[in-house]
Amino acid sequence: MRLKRFLVRYYPPGIILEYEKGGELKTKSIDLLDLSPETDVAELTEEIKKTEPLITASRTEQVKQLIQRLQEKLGQQDDRRFYLFKVLRAHILPLTNVAFNKSGSSFITGSYDRTCKIWDTASGEELHTLEGHRNVVYAIAFNNPYGDKIATGSFDKTCRLWSAETGKCYHTFRGHTAEIVCLSFNPQSTLVATGSMDTTAKLWNIQTGEEAATLTGHSAEIISLSFNTVGDKIITGSFDHTISLWDVQSGRLIHTLIGHRGEISSAQFNWDCSFIATGSMDKTCKVWDAVNGKCLATLTGHEDEVLDVCFDYTGQLIATASADGNARVYSASSQKCIAKLEGHEGEISKICFNPQGSRVLTGSADKTARLWDVNTGQCLQVLEGHTDEIFSCAFNYEGDTIITGSKDNTCRIWR
Amino acid sequence: MGLLSILRKLKSAPDQEVRILLLGLDNAGKTTLLKQLASEDISHITPTQGFNIKSVQSQGFKLNVWDIGGQRKIRPYWRNYFENTDVLIYVIDSADRKRFEETGQELAELLDEEKLSGVPVLIFANKQDLLTAAPASEIAEGLNLHTIRDRVWQIQSCSALTGEGVQDGMNWVCKNVNAKKK
Repeated sequence: MRLKRFLVRYYPPGIILEYEKGGELKTKSIDLLDLSPETDVAELTEEIKKTEPLITASRTEQVKQLIQRLQEKLGQQDDRRFYLFKVLRAHILPLTNVAFNKSGSSFITGSYDRTCKIWDTASGEELHTLEGHRNVVYAIAFNNPYGDKIATGSFDKTCRLWSAETGKCYHTFRGHTAEIVCLSFNPQSTLVATGSMDTTAKLWNIQTGEEAATLTGHSAEIISLSFNTVGDKIITGSFDHTISLWDVQSGRLIHTLIGHRGEISSAQFNWDCSFIATGSMDKTCKVWDAVNGKCLATLTGHEDEVLDVCFDYTGQLIATASADGNARVYSASSQKCIAKLEGHEGEISKICFNPQGSRVLTGSADKTARLWDVNTGQCLQVLEGHTDEIFSCAFNYEGDTIITGSKDNTCRIWR
Repeated sequence: MGLLSILRKLKSAPDQEVRILLLGLDNAGKTTLLKQLASEDISHITPTQGFNIKSVQSQGFKLNVWDIGGQRKIRPYWRNYFENTDVLIYVIDSADRKRFEETGQELAELLDEEKLSGVPVLIFANKQDLLTAAPASEIAEGLNLHTIRDRVWQIQSCSALTGEGVQDGMNWVCKNVNAKKK
């Protein structure tokens, strides 16, 4: 084994080692999820040296420098204010979801007008329109971190795979018998998973365009799905009140997470694949042990349905969005409520962290998106301008650009 | 009504829930009718660029009413919403005689849709508060409604503005959905 070079990853903080083994180039990552500007660098470097054989004495100085660079990035003050940059009016019907590619150079929007559009973030120009679906384009995704492919899931029961560069359609995945409402690429970008109102999820081979597996077991609509960071497991959240954990390779059911008393709205893995967070119409969010499938805690406090949940990039914080118009931030490990985000005048349908984990972004039926300080719960900004409900919102990887998609048929770029 | 609520309303409805599709040309008064049904303010209504959904209780039913924009350029997208429809309500501006042919054509196309086959249809002859409004009988004749034989249908004159006739129409809806859901 010979170390070739280091790569630095800002969010979540980590160092990627590129090394040679038996003539083959491989990578592994050292996650530094607890790193803060206050961390003792020398001590941490020593620790890494002890546990990672690739880090030899001659390399320690380099590691030290990388950690310091990460610390600098983490310590950067984040008091940016966002202004409306562009209103994109090319869709003729309401938007559904929005998503950035990894670099943030472009993003995509799905719409009731049956198209998905690719946009240039810097100019707000429309790059391509992906046409072919015969009904609402509901679920969309880039194959991040690569960003050269796009998958779209439609109410027409099909999923399509497209080239992000040319807008050409590579494959149409047929097999679901009802609307496709959620999808995701695996981290290796070899598979697309689709979840459908037909109660099944399917895995599709990107290369061949063929179905790789059907995940059957839920007794109601699948509404949310998520791969873990490694890509060997996938979870599906269903209107049948349960979440299922599946082995990707075999398509076998590993655990069913039972405990919610209402439909599931969202199910997510955290970065190190230790926890699963789920939101439900039963007004709670639950945290589960991702290994044994046991419920670790029930996060209560919301007075109405929990419509969305998410982890921050390090997987240490959980944010919940509710139909009661409030959002909350919890610690994933202690499960204590850290902040209550109060101020929206309508249900919050979408919530996400900035990659730095310092801000929360919420999109609401009150036509505004709001930006919150994670630690104080203070509302820092109200992004106003949409003339109808906001259905979706997202941060780019740098955390300096926001997009919002609305029922008013527009997408807005804020930066 | 976020995306998730829309998905929940998309499911084939349980017994006591009815999915109603509200269609018609632009300016027929669909949104006004929807708001009248929900007892909401109808003084500031603008052309619908997408859709509106409201749930109202009536005679033991929960009516989930989908009001879809009627402008020409978005009419091709009406089919997005056909799935699981229990009752179709078609709204006509009874005072806009110049567009009777156009509205009749759109209705005929809807009745030919496979996904709407057999679905009961209620036609609201709206805007009866206007002096120039054609009576329901004249519209029924003009649109050849009597040739509809593949489903139950009804024409009801109404004014979405004043509310007159609206409840009568909804009573017919509840009665006929009942027959179908049984």
